Amino acid sequence: MNWLSDNINLLALIAAVVIVVLTVLVAGKYIKQMKTDRSTGELAKENWDGIGEYKNELPSGWAYTFLGAMIWGLWYFAIGYPVNGYSQIGEYNEEVAVHTKMFESKWANADRQTLQEMGEGIYLVQCAPCHGIAGDGMDAKAADLTVWGSAAGVLDTIKNGSKGLGYPMGEMPAGLLDGDSAKRVASYVANGMKGEKPAEFAACAGCHGVDGKGMGGMAPDLTKYGTPSFVADVLNRGKKGYIGTMVSFKGRLTPIQEKAVGTYILSLSRGE
Amino acid sequence: MFHWLEKRPFFFAVGVFLVIAFAGLIEIIPDFAQASRPVVGTKPYTVLQLAGRHVYIKDSCNACHSQLIRPFKSETDRYGPYSLSGEYAYDRPFLWGSKRTGPDLMRVGEYRTTDWHENHMWEPSSVVPGSIMPAYKHMFTQNADIETAYAEALTVKKVFNVPYDKPGMPKLGEWEEAKKQAMEEARKIASEMKNQDVKDAVANGEIPEIVALIAYLNSLR
Amino acid sequence: MVNAAMEYDYTVSKWFAYLSIIFGIIGMVVGVLIAFQMAYPELNNLFGQYGTFSRLRPIHTNVVAFGFTLSGIWAAFYYISQRVLKVSIRENSVVHGIAKLHFFLYVILAAGLVVSLLLGITTSKEYAEMEWPLDILTVVVWILFGLALFGLIGMRREKTLYISMWYFIAFFLGVAMLYLFNNMEVPTYFVTGMGKWYHSVSMYAGTNDALVQWWYGHNAVAFVFTVPIVAMIYYFLPKESGQPVYSYKLSLLSFWGLMFVYLWAGGHHLIYSTVPDWMQTMGSIFSVILILPSWGSAINMLLTMKGEWNQLKESPLIKFMVLASTFYMLSTLEGPIQAIKSVNALAHFTDWIIGHVHDGTLGWVAFMIIAATLHMAPRYYKREIYSKKLMEMQFWLQTTGIVLYFSSMWIAGITQGMMWRAVDQYGNLAYSFIDTVTVLHPYYTIRAIGGLLFVIGLFMWAYNYVKTMQSGKILEKEPAFASPMGA
Ligand code: HEC
Ligand code: HEC
Ligand code: HEC
Ligand code: HEM
Ligand code: HEM
Ligand SMILES: [Ca+2]
Ligand SMILES: [Ca+2]
Ligand SMILES: [Cu+2]
Repeated sequence: MNWLSDNINLLALIAAVVIVVLTVLVAGKYIKQMKTDRSTGELAKENWDGIGEYKNELPSGWAYTFLGAMIWGLWYFAIGYPVNGYSQIGEYNEEVAVHTKMFESKWANADRQTLQEMGEGIYLVQCAPCHGIAGDGMDAKAADLTVWGSAAGVLDTIKNGSKGLGYPMGEMPAGLLDGDSAKRVASYVANGMKGEKPAEFAACAGCHGVDGKGMGGMAPDLTKYGTPSFVADVLNRGKKGYIGTMVSFKGRLTPIQEKAVGTYILSLSRGE
Repeated sequence: MFHWLEKRPFFFAVGVFLVIAFAGLIEIIPDFAQASRPVVGTKPYTVLQLAGRHVYIKDSCNACHSQLIRPFKSETDRYGPYSLSGEYAYDRPFLWGSKRTGPDLMRVGEYRTTDWHENHMWEPSSVVPGSIMPAYKHMFTQNADIETAYAEALTVKKVFNVPYDKPGMPKLGEWEEAKKQAMEEARKIASEMKNQDVKDAVANGEIPEIVALIAYLNSLR
Repeated sequence: MVNAAMEYDYTVSKWFAYLSIIFGIIGMVVGVLIAFQMAYPELNNLFGQYGTFSRLRPIHTNVVAFGFTLSGIWAAFYYISQRVLKVSIRENSVVHGIAKLHFFLYVILAAGLVVSLLLGITTSKEYAEMEWPLDILTVVVWILFGLALFGLIGMRREKTLYISMWYFIAFFLGVAMLYLFNNMEVPTYFVTGMGKWYHSVSMYAGTNDALVQWWYGHNAVAFVFTVPIVAMIYYFLPKESGQPVYSYKLSLLSFWGLMFVYLWAGGHHLIYSTVPDWMQTMGSIFSVILILPSWGSAINMLLTMKGEWNQLKESPLIKFMVLASTFYMLSTLEGPIQAIKSVNALAHFTDWIIGHVHDGTLGWVAFMIIAATLHMAPRYYKREIYSKKLMEMQFWLQTTGIVLYFSSMWIAGITQGMMWRAVDQYGNLAYSFIDTVTVLHPYYTIRAIGGLLFVIGLFMWAYNYVKTMQSGKILEKEPAFASPMGA
């Protein structure tokens, strides 16, 4: 890993070592004196319950370090800190801007393989708590992504209907088609509506349009079904569906990240 | 030598007091006026949300969960935009926490939902395998204390001028109204839940703790 | 005059010592339980809602801090103050009565606190969880302690206050001031006539509340886990070893330095939060300076033992105290380093802080209390300590426990902190949150085992103590310095 290129990680590790080493050295020094040295000094006249007190001078190392620390503190607070004009938010903004610029340019034209790998990472952090690590929806607690996006997914939608993406057309009713006709339509839609259009698609055209493009945003654009860009729509809209609610990821992922996670989850159902 | 103070306990005590009181004054007072100003859009909690907040406190969720997103990219990527002082203007007490055994919850309302919380609070490892968070099944049967939440809301309205009942702000009103409104919010949440006992309880005019807690968690944005 | 020693009245001191042993065991058994819960979450289901980690954790922190530690401190206070002030508390029946009342009300308070936390009655502010009725009782208990403290000082025959008394005075004043400010709350029932009578709402909101809380929280550590424990070591180590304190000047500068610097450092709990930058920075700076007055006391104690290697080798009591000062050094170096902004960026919210906490509380606080009670026992009962061997075993067992505790929490914390920050080759977060939880399982297990060893040590302590009371060899006269021990 590139852990040590992170300053904070590096400093933390150094800090841990310093804590142990310094304590052991200093305490060790005094414990050694218990072995080798003798205690001496002029006693004060007081005596409390048998406890006396030497009038010894301060250990000079301690005294000078204390003095030094106080001077450093004053300097830092009065001069060092104001001159640096440090602001944690400023630092954050800078860090994010640099990252974003690099990220955008570096991965703008990433190939499918790269996107899929990147998507897997994003999926595991952002989506797996609901859809499960394997994407199976965890006993129908969320959509089963090993199916969604493929012909089987469309078949489910035809059988059960769909709601909650918030299109003006509202809900899609269940059971519009069944049997082979449903299968034919499903595989046609899942293939990006290429090839010969089955006659039964008429059942869909009322809402999704004859061309399946969703009639200008009234219903989802089926030509995008099974593509990362459909996923991106879902991420931006969220879904209040039959199984449950999926939150909207609007603004939480960048377009490249949306595309990547879309590519990844579709690889689950489409096996590509 | 310098035993003067040590022979005069009164002056000794005064000396100690001055030395320790001094720092407190300088550290605490300057920020007070400034930090309590709410950010645009920050609203006080509704009675139901407040009751949920009491559940959160009662079960010390803050022992494991923070509510403070620090300005690091790694945190804003995971939890959302970093926290602003004014967002906490109505938090009494603050719930920043000091240990993240579990994730930060400052904006959990943005990325988790009612049904997810329902599953998770019932049995965390059923949705997050390997979770070490305890299950909170008792929240599904125990009722939330709406009356105390109302009392608190009314108190802060009266004593600290928290803007309940102002335009665009949550309504508090009289106790009967407030109760009705809390019930209504509760019904909405219960309708998205699956647990039959909870649904029945809400239908009977009760508000289980879990419903209030979810109202609170959903309000964290 | 010399043998007035035998006239001191240890009644209240003893009561507090018993309480400290009992609370120590309860609090740390709960600590071990919650430690195991973090490794084996099924253990959350043992006692229904009363057994979850989140209900038990505040019970652990409160019982060890305000049960075990405060009792231990007061046991030592009622013992030390009579002796270094050269008065017997029995000489003034009012002061003695106050001391007893202090004890009884404190027992009620402690019981009330535990019950209320079990029921989930808490304000959620760390180390200030009590609702207002208990707050009021706390104030009463504290005033009684203050009266006893200044009562004894008023009666004193030794005009110059011994170092321990400086620290006890600071302990009293510091906690009083902090507690009052942080617990300002408005009881909602009195404003509205509705809801639970004991419920209250904080006077402060949001960032301000955080500021007051951590000004308190940090200094609660200072004035409960540090100041009175320093008072204890300044008495018990020189007394047990028979060595004069190494340097008055060092004592003096460390004391006033600590008083002045400690209060400023609270900002280190709020680094990268929404409190203004300059306050966070001040917290960091003063934390670093704080190393020196803290180490001053520790070094003074280690230097007091100069040339006394034999005692270190021979006496388990001296071992406890020398290691305690060493752990005090460790945690007062660790704390300041964790207060540096870029280190805190990693350490905050992680188990590394938990490691730091227990370096201090186990290695320093608990060891000092254990040593104190075992030093006092022969003087209380005029008997030899029952078993030296047992104490020796306890020492090594507990030391092993602490080492396991802090090494596992350091690794866990740093691992966790790094994993939260880690990104993959694309620049996206590399780990889901749960990944950062499951990797810690082995460390949580090791910590729990370390805790278990420590608790076994506590049982040895209790056994040794009770045996000393009952069947330690009877002493003709009080030992001047080293405590006599049976085999
Ligand atoms: C009554 C109008 C209507 C008809 C008829 C209709 N749809 Fe839909 N369809 C919708 C709406 C509205 C949505 C968006 C639903 C939502 O919010 O989830 C949708 C969504 C979909 C989706 C996306 C589901 C998902 O999981 O995101 C697919 C695939 C789909 N329709 C295919 C079809 C097919 C195939 C047919 C014909 C058999 C069909 N639709 C007929 C209105 C309709
Ligand atoms: C809070 C839980 C949650 C999170 C987080 C979540 N989802 Fe979902 N998601 C759901 C639920 C619940 C559904 C099923 C909605 C329904 O009932 O149809 C769903 C459905 C979907 C669907 C199918 C939508 C449709 O049109 O049928 C896709 C695709 C999807 N999620 C992708 C993702 C991706 C990618 C992520 C992460 C970037 C993600 N989800 C994060 C809960 C979640
Ligand atoms: C023992 C520690 C512990 C306690 C106590 C605890 N949690 Fe958690 N919590 C976790 C852990 C670990 C996770 C991450 C794994 C998971 O999601 O279950 C988590 C996750 C969560 C999440 C999901 C957040 C996300 O971003 O995925 C929520 C919401 C939550 N907890 C709420 C609560 C509430 C409410 C309480 C109190 C009633 C509580 N927790 C008590 C440890 C705890
Ligand atoms: C057997 C010994 C002990 C064990 C096993 C133990 C265990 C624990 C555990 C598991 C936690 C929770 C950590 C977390 O949330 O991640 C904790 C917290 C804490 N313990 Fe202990 N503990 C022990 C002794 C003590 C003692 C003796 C003290 C004080 C005198 C103490 C003071 C604290 C404090 C103050 C916290 C809260 C820390 C924080 O919030 O940062 N513990 N302990
Ligand atoms: C020079 C002295 C010390 C300094 C500067 C210091 C500093 C710190 C810092 C920076 C934190 C972590 C804050 C965070 O990021 O959450 C902390 C936490 C803590 N320290 Fe120390 N520390 C010191 C000594 C001690 C000692 C001696 C003890 C106990 C014996 C102790 C007990 C604690 C406790 C209990 C916490 C946890 C507070 C919480 O609940 O979050 N500290 N300290
Ligand atoms: Ca804490
Ligand atoms: Ca209180
Ligand atoms: Cu602190």
